[in-house]
Amino acid sequence: MILGVETSCDDTCAALVTRDGAVRSNVVASQGLLHARYGGVVPEIASRRHLELVDAVVADALERGGATLDDVDTVAVTRGPGLIGALLVGLSSAKALAAARGLPLAPVDHLAGHVLASTLGDHPVEPPYLCLVASGGHTFLARVEEPPDYEVLGRTLDDAAGEAFDKGARLLGLGYPGGPELDRLAHEGDREAFAFPRSLPGDGLDFSFSGLKTALLYRVRDLGAEETTRRRADLAASYQAAVVDSLIARVRAALERERLDRLAIGGGVAANSELRARIGELAEELEVEVWIPPRDLCTDNAAMIAAVARYTEPIAYPGYLSLDASARVA
Amino acid sequence: MNLLGLDTSTAASAACVLRDDDVAFEAIPSVEELAAPPAHSRDLLARAAEVLDRAGLTFADIDAIAVGTGPGAFTGLRVGIATARALAHAHDLELRPVSSLAALAEGIDADARLPLIDARRGELFGALHLAGGSTAVEPFVATPEEVVERVRESGLDPLAAGDGSLRFRGLLEAAGVRVAHDESQAHVVRALYVCRLGAGTEPVAPDAVLPTYLRLPDAQPRPS
Ligand SMILES: [Zn+2]
Repeated sequence: MILGVETSCDDTCAALVTRDGAVRSNVVASQGLLHARYGGVVPEIASRRHLELVDAVVADALERGGATLDDVDTVAVTRGPGLIGALLVGLSSAKALAAARGLPLAPVDHLAGHVLASTLGDHPVEPPYLCLVASGGHTFLARVEEPPDYEVLGRTLDDAAGEAFDKGARLLGLGYPGGPELDRLAHEGDREAFAFPRSLPGDGLDFSFSGLKTALLYRVRDLGAEETTRRRADLAASYQAAVVDSLIARVRAALERERLDRLAIGGGVAANSELRARIGELAEELEVEVWIPPRDLCTDNAAMIAAVARYTEPIAYPGYLSLDASARVA
Repeated sequence: MNLLGLDTSTAASAACVLRDDDVAFEAIPSVEELAAPPAHSRDLLARAAEVLDRAGLTFADIDAIAVGTGPGAFTGLRVGIATARALAHAHDLELRPVSSLAALAEGIDADARLPLIDARRGELFGALHLAGGSTAVEPFVATPEEVVERVRESGLDPLAAGDGSLRFRGLLEAAGVRVAHDESQAHVVRALYVCRLGAGTEPVAPDAVLPTYLRLPDAQPRPS
């Protein structure tokens, strides 16, 4: 079995995954509330918390998976991209665990984890497929031919989609992280009440969300505090529709251009109800099959890191002793 | 008892194994390493494997682990402690936390010892130790001027060492505090002393071992 460890941002994660992709356990110790009062993730606080939690989270993953370290044949760990201090906690722990047991170690690209999350479980996606990864930290479209490799077809040039939701929610006074609350509020609003720009930069498949955020900022300023509060649901619905429209437009273009008939979604934004509904409609229209993993495989988790290790040759002991983390994975 | 000792409280990575026949196999960092960019993730575990190799042992032969808990640079401390804790968990061992300042003091050849670790932002982590291992002043974080003040208050005439003493040599010496010479090995936290101090330390559950930060994280709550 593969033991996965992931500490690239503010969730301390460990998981047990079998060679054939069954998720035996998937433990996430979220730090969300710890960072809420700072309005975002504080790297030093995240790193301190990872160190406090990492061993207990690994032990929990083993126990819930009904296994011991004796059942682990490979340790997989996120090497990057992410917060360097946070990454180093998980990497140091995983390296030492592997070394102490003489096990091979698979260093994993966090983004490949999101791309391959849909290869887990009873009904795995088969390549070739298109994957949209949208979260608070990343937004990109990838073509997957031979895992763990993937070709990035387009990416955001500024904010990530989840970041756009969180920043929009903040402008509407919904707190942090406000994405889920924005989603909830949008159900009560009219998505056509306000016209927000759908930014589709260039001829390719890139995204841009910073202009949209600015448009909301100006609209909120024009309306004033009282009117903004009164029309908050309409603002949320219109803003969310603009983000989702951009995502859908690029997914449609990518499916058509790449002639793919399988689509997977990854990242925390996959939980957004508007996106899920619109992806469903698009899939029906284009006759494309869709994979949206359960929420705990979409947000940051270690099962997806172990999933990537299923497709890679791990480094045998002692080849990984000097392995370093990388804030950016080349 | 085969005891592995690790320390990452400075930019250097130190590892040592004290074999059950009391022979030590040690990777002693050079003084130059103190001024180099930290490379704990690259060096620490590799050095631990190297000293074990020289001792004819493997990770599975370790009976006890001691680790320097700082104070020191936070990221480095976490690499060392995460490593020590995982090594311990892998074989159900307990951990022996050791003050990195106490380990640094062990290498200073004087009756009164002033271990100083660079705390960045113009500050130092320090303590005052006496030969024989007793602590005259508990670990603190302070400006060099405050360090000089604490030395005066103690009435001792200590010899300072450590990367912090190298950084502020001019200021310390001008105030009458002696600093070990530039090339002295005393400036490096040696894992041999982490082992020796650890051997006399009560072992604890690995999860209970955390860095001695002595400083809160830099973060201001966002006004809402
Ligand atoms: Zn992620």
